[in-house]
Amino acid sequence: MIERLRQIFGAIWPVFYRQDNDRLNPYFTFTDYRQIWTVVISVLIANALVPLLAITIIHYQLIQKSVDSELIFRTERLVSNARRAMTFFLEERLDALRFSVNEIGYDQLTNPNHLTVILRNLKLGFGGLTDLSVIDPTGIQVAYAGPFKLEGKNYSNQIWFIECQKRNIYVSEIFRGYRDLPHIIIAVKSIRPDGTAFFLRATLETERLIQTLSSHETGAHADIFLVNRSGIIQTPSKHHGNIFEKMMLPLPSFSPRTQAVMATDEQGQSIITGYAFITTQIADTPFILMVIKQKAGMMGVWLELHSNINWFVGFSIMVVILVVTITCTLMVNKLYQADRDKAETMAVMEQNNQLASIGELAAGVAHEINNPLALINETAGYVKDLFAINEQYHKDKELIEYIDYILEAVERCGTITKQLLGFARKFDVNIQMVNLKEMILDVLNFHNKEAEYRNITVQVDVPQDNLEIKTDRGKLQQILLNLVNNAFQAVDKGCCLNIHASYNGTDKVGITISDNGCGMPQDNLSKIFEPFFTTKERGKGTGLGLAITYGLVKKLNGDISVESKENEGTTFTITLPTRIHEEVTEDEGSIGR
Amino acid sequence: MLSKRLTLRGIDVDCANTGAEALVLVEHMRYDVAILDVKMPGIGGIELEQKLSVLAPGMKFIFLTGHGSETDFEIGSVEAAYYLAKPLQIERLIEILNEVTE
Repeated sequence: MIERLRQIFGAIWPVFYRQDNDRLNPYFTFTDYRQIWTVVISVLIANALVPLLAITIIHYQLIQKSVDSELIFRTERLVSNARRAMTFFLEERLDALRFSVNEIGYDQLTNPNHLTVILRNLKLGFGGLTDLSVIDPTGIQVAYAGPFKLEGKNYSNQIWFIECQKRNIYVSEIFRGYRDLPHIIIAVKSIRPDGTAFFLRATLETERLIQTLSSHETGAHADIFLVNRSGIIQTPSKHHGNIFEKMMLPLPSFSPRTQAVMATDEQGQSIITGYAFITTQIADTPFILMVIKQKAGMMGVWLELHSNINWFVGFSIMVVILVVTITCTLMVNKLYQADRDKAETMAVMEQNNQLASIGELAAGVAHEINNPLALINETAGYVKDLFAINEQYHKDKELIEYIDYILEAVERCGTITKQLLGFARKFDVNIQMVNLKEMILDVLNFHNKEAEYRNITVQVDVPQDNLEIKTDRGKLQQILLNLVNNAFQAVDKGCCLNIHASYNGTDKVGITISDNGCGMPQDNLSKIFEPFFTTKERGKGTGLGLAITYGLVKKLNGDISVESKENEGTTFTITLPTRIHEEVTEDEGSIGR
Repeated sequence: MLSKRLTLRGIDVDCANTGAEALVLVEHMRYDVAILDVKMPGIGGIELEQKLSVLAPGMKFIFLTGHGSETDFEIGSVEAAYYLAKPLQIERLIEILNEVTE
């Protein structure tokens, strides 16, 4: 599974990321393709995404602004309506009391029966009244109409009484009182003709008030309730605290007008708080009307729009990134490949030029050395001949030995110069049909004895017996001979050599010669076809074998490559055309003349 | 030097330093074999061969070359004349001499 993923990843992973070939590096126009890739991708992505994101953000801000002001406006309207209803509710009842005290007079009011009638009429007219009582200036309740037995009760030290004395009219907050039921006290003060004051006090049920309030509740997200000026909740709240407990939200500061502001609630959620301090035209009240709206709930439609926009933007970003990445990768890949092709061509050209110039130099040197070498050879040979004839030196084995050393050295020099010339010369091409299998077996015949003696297994694997190509027999023979020689030198006792030949495409044959011998380090691989490069001991090798082989393969319009791992073996692969064209080989000749 | 070595081995040798000298020699004597350097000052080896074969038909030729690889030699050997690459081994020369004059 992981392997498979890696494969897929490897297929789309840009080629230039595995920058492999140090050999080609000097020939590249651009050195750091990863950087180019990263820079191009980032610039393009930034270019595409910055305007998109900017527009999105600006758009969001505009929406936010308009939504906020819309919400505030709506809340304000709601608060204002509810406030008007509240004010009206209270004013109506206060006015009724005022009307009663002014119209009916103290004497009639203190008549319990009459008071009961008034209570009944008020209940009929306005509703929501529980009881009615008249209190004299000392705070003693002198008359009472209602369900409770409260006659004679002393209110002189109660807040409502003290306040009402001061202000003539009083609206209490909602409280439980003696009767343990939520109620509101409203009271008005009146002056009798003799100048003494008396008070008419009524208790209001809270149901009507709560109904009035809740009739303004719009939707599940709005919460309308009353608090008193110290923040104690007066009517039931859905979310912000229990009745007669402290509201969980901060108490708004006084404002004569309805207000709506953005805020956060105790759970950190965005809310819109609308509030109004309720005052009637004739009296202040302790109530603050609170309207709390959950912003999230109110913004449902907008949030849906948000999420649509978010999806769209996210999708666009993905598409942009994907398209930019793929396009850039493809382009940079193409660029890299073109550059690499160029670099490869340049590297090959430079190698060829190098080989050609070395070839020329080698040929020149070889030729110049050959003549003095011939002179040494003849002279030493003549001296040896003379010694052989002359009685005086005939017996002197040592002397003859020395001469032989000279001749041996000359012969060795001769071999080198011959090889050099072979490396450099352009020789005639003699093209004929060659059976590859026979040719390989012929070449191996030279090594039969050695293979037997060193216990080296040689496998020849040519699937087609009649695999024939039209090429230069002599050169091919030398190529194979050189490579087999090479392999034999690389392998130890008991190793194995494998020669394989088969069609490699329609008009090419491939020949591989692989051994499991000592192999060579990667450093040497690049230099292996260079003349005079040898890993053998000084004096043992000329370093020309593979250089010559390389030249020969090129002359046959072929290619040669080598792979090797130290201590694992070496594989030479030759690719040759099945049919060589004579003219081409005549003109071509990067090596020698 | 080569001529001296051949003389030591009982072969009659006349030595000419240039092509012109060789032509003069051939006019006066009959030779079995001419050993020619391919590259010589004045008349080159190949040209000299053509001139000599006109003067002395039936004469065999052995070419010496300082500019040859083994492959050259193989190819040269296919044709009638012999090529020998310098520096040459005297034994090989003697062998070939015997071969051509047999």
